[in-house]
Amino acid sequence: MLADGISTLDTRSPQVVLEPNLTHWNPGRIPKVRIIYENAIPKEDAIKSVAAGDGKVDVVTDLTPAEAHAFQGGSVAAIHSQPAKTVLAGVFNENKLDSPWTSIEVRRAMNMAIDRDAVLQQGAHGYGSVMPAFIQTGRYGADPKLEPYKLDEAAAAAAIEKAGLKGREILVLASPDWEGVVEVMTANLAKVGLKVRADFSKTEPEGWDIKLVWHFDWSPQYPVGVVHREFFGNNGAHRAMPEDPQFDALYAKLLRTPHQPAQEEVVREVERYVHDQARALFLISPSTLFAVSNRVSFVAYDTCMSELAETTVR
Amino acid sequence: MAEPATGGASGGVPSWGPHNTVRVVDPSPVNWLSITWNTMEEANRVDHEGMGQPSLAAGWRWVDDETLELDVRRETVFQDGEKYDAQIFKLAFDKVQEWTNPHPPGAFLNFAQDTALTVVDDHTVRMRFPGGNSAALMKLRGMHIPSTRFWNEWGFIDPKTGTAEGHW
Repeated sequence: MLADGISTLDTRSPQVVLEPNLTHWNPGRIPKVRIIYENAIPKEDAIKSVAAGDGKVDVVTDLTPAEAHAFQGGSVAAIHSQPAKTVLAGVFNENKLDSPWTSIEVRRAMNMAIDRDAVLQQGAHGYGSVMPAFIQTGRYGADPKLEPYKLDEAAAAAAIEKAGLKGREILVLASPDWEGVVEVMTANLAKVGLKVRADFSKTEPEGWDIKLVWHFDWSPQYPVGVVHREFFGNNGAHRAMPEDPQFDALYAKLLRTPHQPAQEEVVREVERYVHDQARALFLISPSTLFAVSNRVSFVAYDTCMSELAETTVR
Repeated sequence: MAEPATGGASGGVPSWGPHNTVRVVDPSPVNWLSITWNTMEEANRVDHEGMGQPSLAAGWRWVDDETLELDVRRETVFQDGEKYDAQIFKLAFDKVQEWTNPHPPGAFLNFAQDTALTVVDDHTVRMRFPGGNSAALMKLRGMHIPSTRFWNEWGFIDPKTGTAEGHW
């Protein structure tokens, strides 16, 4: 994943103007419009501009579910919801002192405590989908036999109590973008005997328990390298647990498997492994959300990138 | 209706105005990557449905578990008129290999130092990955292939630091 200080630009032009390359080898991908990225307009003002149809902004990317839900575009604009290759999951802090999350029984109980339909519908206003682990149903590498953890409050509560965690307060870190999701999680976990203290400050206080992480797969059919490895691999930026030799062995196996369909079967094996081990608190795949003027015929990418070669003016 | 960018009757550069301009606000922390993929090209790309597609490589095949052979797209020229061929592909590989950690997302996009790229002919390159590396096509998605002029005049060197580490 990208890190502040490395990936964040420290200077940017107020505008970036992209004009089509008319000599491109693929005429079918020569854009039909000029694209201007407006970098000096704050997101909130940009959303208002699209909703008002004042012509200053045609597309705003990266809306939160709350922003999309509140958007009132009337006859001039609408929300475009793209079922992109994304993951929203909770990272268990297995590295904290006396971490309860090193227990597979506890991690599974946490997954059984979550009502993913409620997370999606109430927490994310329905913008997204529920998936078994990190790969959406029907995508490359998805295991058709794998299902999301079933909601089972009784079993989850029993496992939490057995682990001596009943009544425990847990510290959940999240971006303010996911406040609605954390509200649903808080209600879910209260039913199994856990109290959530949420921290939306984007800091990482010592002793945190679960951190919500949004991640995206931009790859050409290599989700384990881009997503799973980032959470669980020995060089993963989101890993908050000791190195996992079993995961690393599976990744090494994948690296040695270039041919299809064998490669996809290893991807499924990885997906099954992280699911069975409850390696994360699996939540949802959020859609990417855009406010789009009706004057634009907008083609979004499942990679979450704002590539705009196919976008045109109506 | 947008005027086709390939021009009207004259076939020249369109006249730009509101009728064929889309204004975007992209507050994403990875908006730099969108700009890169709107302006650079690689051996392969990912389409709007999230599927890998050939791009500056017209195709590829694993010759064995350690060797990937790529067909360099024919009859392709850069905006500055330079012809694209296997030597240009190799130049892009050689340039990225000069740095320890050039890619902002992290070292997982690096090709190992023992990776070898050989030019078979003007339209074929062969990459060899000792020990195997099925992630090659993922990594190639991040290996930008510009013209020689780009390397000579800009490259990915940050003018403030004089390095391309983390700046690809």
